[in-house]
Amino acid sequence: MRHHRSGLNTLGQMFVATALALPLVVHADEAELTRRVEKLSNELEAVKAELAKMKKEHEQGAVQGAPQQATKPAETPYTNTEAAPGSSDTVLTSYGEINYNRPRKATENTVADLRRAVIGLQHRFDPQTKFAFELESEHAVTSAEDPGEVEIEQAFVEHRLAPSFAVRGGLFLIPTGLLNESHEPTAYYGVERNFVETAIIPTTWREGGFQVVGELGSGLTLQGGITTGFNLNKWDATSTEGQESPLGSIHQELALASARDLSVFAAANYRGVPGLLVGSSVFTGGATHGAQGVTKSRVTLWDLHARWTPGAWDFAALYARGTISNTAAFNTTLVGNPTLVPAVFDGSYVQAAYRLRFGNYGVAPFARLEYFNTGKKYDAIGAGLTPAPLPNERVITTGLNFDINQHVVVKADMQWFRQVSANNRFNLGLGWSF
Amino acid sequence: MRIEVLPIVLGALPASVWAVDYVSASEAEALMFPQADEFATVNLRLDNAQLQEVGKRAGLPARSAQWGVRVARRASSPLGYVVVDNVIGKFELITYAVAVGTDGAIRQIEILSYRESHGGEVRLPAWRKQFVGKTVAGPLRVGDDIANISGATLSCTHVTDGVRRIVAVLQVAHEAGALP
Repeated sequence: MRHHRSGLNTLGQMFVATALALPLVVHADEAELTRRVEKLSNELEAVKAELAKMKKEHEQGAVQGAPQQATKPAETPYTNTEAAPGSSDTVLTSYGEINYNRPRKATENTVADLRRAVIGLQHRFDPQTKFAFELESEHAVTSAEDPGEVEIEQAFVEHRLAPSFAVRGGLFLIPTGLLNESHEPTAYYGVERNFVETAIIPTTWREGGFQVVGELGSGLTLQGGITTGFNLNKWDATSTEGQESPLGSIHQELALASARDLSVFAAANYRGVPGLLVGSSVFTGGATHGAQGVTKSRVTLWDLHARWTPGAWDFAALYARGTISNTAAFNTTLVGNPTLVPAVFDGSYVQAAYRLRFGNYGVAPFARLEYFNTGKKYDAIGAGLTPAPLPNERVITTGLNFDINQHVVVKADMQWFRQVSANNRFNLGLGWSF
Repeated sequence: MRIEVLPIVLGALPASVWAVDYVSASEAEALMFPQADEFATVNLRLDNAQLQEVGKRAGLPARSAQWGVRVARRASSPLGYVVVDNVIGKFELITYAVAVGTDGAIRQIEILSYRESHGGEVRLPAWRKQFVGKTVAGPLRVGDDIANISGATLSCTHVTDGVRRIVAVLQVAHEAGALP
């Protein structure tokens, strides 16, 4: 900066000198005139050289400064560089959970499971562009004979066009509900994720496509995009999977996804008042992909959610509702099978937690009341053929999260089911996230 | 404690190239102490006893023995201090500045750079206002007197912890006579 100023001063002096010199030229003889012109010419060359040098130094400084600051952004003269934590362009992450579920009335079904272990990385190419990646393994062992699955949960590039505006492309999580984008075990209460955000919203739900993210100064974050969607042609009426989670059974996860019909989504989340989050999302798109002999169908899922954390309290509420259109013709071909396609499915929950601190340890007792219905309504296909709507399942969960630190949590809870009380169970879990 | 005082020309502070910089360090200190006519840097070097004292008061490690503090003055009278620091949010560094009066009370905090994909709401004035007037006596803790931002728990927690550490450093240094 000082260097630039001195350069500009020199330049100014040159111009002043030039301006002063010009009147003298009129009275000078030819030799003197030539000498002065030569002198001015030399001085002009010197100025040009200095300007070129300054320009080069400036450009070099800007180019060299960028990666330096990308790795050491604390290099302002008095930022606490030495005190600052390290930073790298590539960050390795992980989260996972080991769960133990013991049904109280059917202890023979007790299971312990490494539910999921995820390794992720984030790499920053430049100050505006980064790549996020997560590789997940479920149920510990994956082979033809074992129950495990290996999945790419996220693989997207984010490019920031302005401080509050970014574009993402790739396989990313759909911004819906409270858990889908923040699904690490340290982020929610209870050993298991709540049923609404499992059976109705198929967390962890991701699609391939593009999205834009805008953060308005008021605390409002808007997201919208175009992505792959569900594939109703995958519906397996012989399995109960569709009854456990209608959308979970027909999601595609960018695995050779049928992509003739694309979906769109939009989400708005307001965090302008400290401790408060109020948001909503909608996702809709065709789900039949031009399959021959299949009536066009559309899947739509929307939700409303809120979270309020005054002091040590943590309150949350959510409602989600999904619809699948034109299912009558589809279901007519499936009559006789156990699981037909629902026209409507929905669920909601309310939850309260109180976070206590004991030094670095945290203990949060919580309670959650939820209901969900994966077959709330079926399109009519004729008397005696139309499935009866399923009853709402109501679940009460109460227990506590014990935070060893910000990254490790031990959880214990009890769950009571109104419709299928045989599912009442005790859960114990260990989770980590870093 | 060794102290060096280096007057710095504000205009000499380099502009950062980060696309997510919202305010420069020099702009932040001018914003936080608009009435100041001079800023000077004091490089603190805490000894072991002082480090322990910072850890005790903040409830977390002092992290470093060396801290650069900008002292804001008007007509040679100290108005307060500005400390620019970095903490890790979830994956990336958050650069922030804390302004503290000579009475030890926080005047303002500013987020200079935020690089995470989520949780940029820590920049909102409503969230930052929660710190104003508080001292190391705190509690200055997320989930207590500082409300969390849903989806940005780690960013909120780490910035809050960082602020609590800085006010403890300043208080210990002030008591030791290292700061005016």
